[in-house]
Amino acid sequence: MLLPLGSADEIGPSVTNRHVVLEKFRKVTADRGFREIATPVVEYASTFIHPSVGMMLQDMMKWFNAQGEIEVLRPDWTTAIARALGGRPISHQKWAYQGPIYDLRKPGLERHQAGIEIIDLPELLGEVECLLTAVAFLKNLKIGPVIIELAHAAIFDQFVQPLGLEEETKEKLRKAMHDKRKDEVASLVTKYGDAVAVNAFMDLIDAYGTSTILEVYQEKWCGQPERLSVLNHLRKLVAVLQDCGVDDVLIDLGSVKKMPYYSGTLFRGFIKANGNVCFSGGRYDPLYDYFGKKTTAVGLAFDVDVLADELRPEPKRERICLVATEDTLAQAEKLRQQFPNAIVDIRFSADGTYDRVVYVEKDPQNEKAVDAHGSLYSPE
Amino acid sequence: MVPCIALSKGRLEKAAIDFFEAEPLVDKGRKLCIETNRYRFIFAKGIDVATYVEYGIADLGIVGEDILLEYQPDVFDLFPLSFGQCRFSLAGKPGHIVTGPKKRIATKYPNITLNYFRKRGESVDIVKLEGSVELAPVLGLADAIVDIVETGSTLKENGLVVYDDIRPISARLIANRSALKVKREVLKPLLERFQEKEVGA
Repeated sequence: MLLPLGSADEIGPSVTNRHVVLEKFRKVTADRGFREIATPVVEYASTFIHPSVGMMLQDMMKWFNAQGEIEVLRPDWTTAIARALGGRPISHQKWAYQGPIYDLRKPGLERHQAGIEIIDLPELLGEVECLLTAVAFLKNLKIGPVIIELAHAAIFDQFVQPLGLEEETKEKLRKAMHDKRKDEVASLVTKYGDAVAVNAFMDLIDAYGTSTILEVYQEKWCGQPERLSVLNHLRKLVAVLQDCGVDDVLIDLGSVKKMPYYSGTLFRGFIKANGNVCFSGGRYDPLYDYFGKKTTAVGLAFDVDVLADELRPEPKRERICLVATEDTLAQAEKLRQQFPNAIVDIRFSADGTYDRVVYVEKDPQNEKAVDAHGSLYSPE
Repeated sequence: MVPCIALSKGRLEKAAIDFFEAEPLVDKGRKLCIETNRYRFIFAKGIDVATYVEYGIADLGIVGEDILLEYQPDVFDLFPLSFGQCRFSLAGKPGHIVTGPKKRIATKYPNITLNYFRKRGESVDIVKLEGSVELAPVLGLADAIVDIVETGSTLKENGLVVYDDIRPISARLIANRSALKVKREVLKPLLERFQEKEVGA
């Protein structure tokens, strides 16, 4: 039987690696006080397509239910969790989740994510906890080096506000900034602003680099308290990261939010060796506001498939075959416990694929095992 | 770690090769992958250039804006280049009268065509063709075409006229979203060179 385009059976290392990633994620997040949350894989489309959320119906796997309502396979974890937590009187603040999402824009129908959501904590504390959880998790997986990129959704809004743009034009400008499409940005800003505004936007597109760029823009944006406040916030995050041994920090002041609900700091992690994005997230207080909870909210999601690809193979373990008979199966099972660090298989005969073969002989008085050469085996 | 640059074969190929002034490119023959001491070049069809850049195989790419508008790859679309300039036009036979209930438009670019007619508030049917689009109105397959027009001579030789100029386009420099940041130290001098050349052009 064939599979639909984008679907795949997974056998062997790709499944094993994914489970290793998820097991370590559970351990790291549990140790840091995160509680687990899961939402259903089937939701109403209306949860995701409201303008406050901003997802597009054409990007979702969807169908009509018997009542004519559109249901979708979960396209986004953050929104689903905001829906789940927003309507509940919950006091716990740190949440962890793991599971698939379905997004028709991405190759492959199913993407696996694991992520964290932190609500109701002071801004800096929540963001630092997000980033340092990511650092701890990646370190635990022995994945790296990783570059962390910091940006801030408010900068674009601050630049656009004086232009007095209509929503449609603002969206065009946001898209052009997202693509770093200089000619389009210049053309749009020219219609609504002066040469100073055009130059400021051109400069903003190129405002990415190491964290030293924050000092450069501290001078350039002198006398503009809103922008300086953003820089100051980013500088505090950089300082904490650097104090925790994370030196590869990138800043992109010209970065814009991809989803309308982002309202503050944005972050992404790149695998340095190949540029793959292994996590992304940011602050999205307005999303919880939309779902009925006035609170702070920040989180990030790891791309489990990217992380699973990056995992180094585990050290090879010895493979032992205990060759038993119908009468010695129980004895063999007892012997199995004596090889805690090996992969132990019990068979009636051994092929040549094992590192060691041990024959289990029936002796009710004195259980014994002999190795492949016939001598009595005694575990070390 | 030399930058990998994907170049479009065909219409934009010569101009892109001239731009880099790299000796091994001139006599590359049919090789699709060339490495100099400064760059690694790969040659592919326009849409594949965008795909190689989107997936991070290539760091930068030179590709026609037609590809970017039609397929919307997830890349940084940095700036226009001074070559490959032409325009998207709606064209057909002079004085042609539409007899069917809807106009039928032949094109290699169904998304661009649909967007254009939607903005005009007009419903049309689209026939997707892969090349020699000018044939469609001549042979009665379509009422008009939407296609790239460079000099207009192909239209003229096939007895077609431009009904409407949709938008000018050119070759563009695109970049992989991660590479532009992660490999910024090696890409920055190249981007500056591009910008200097373009400003001077």
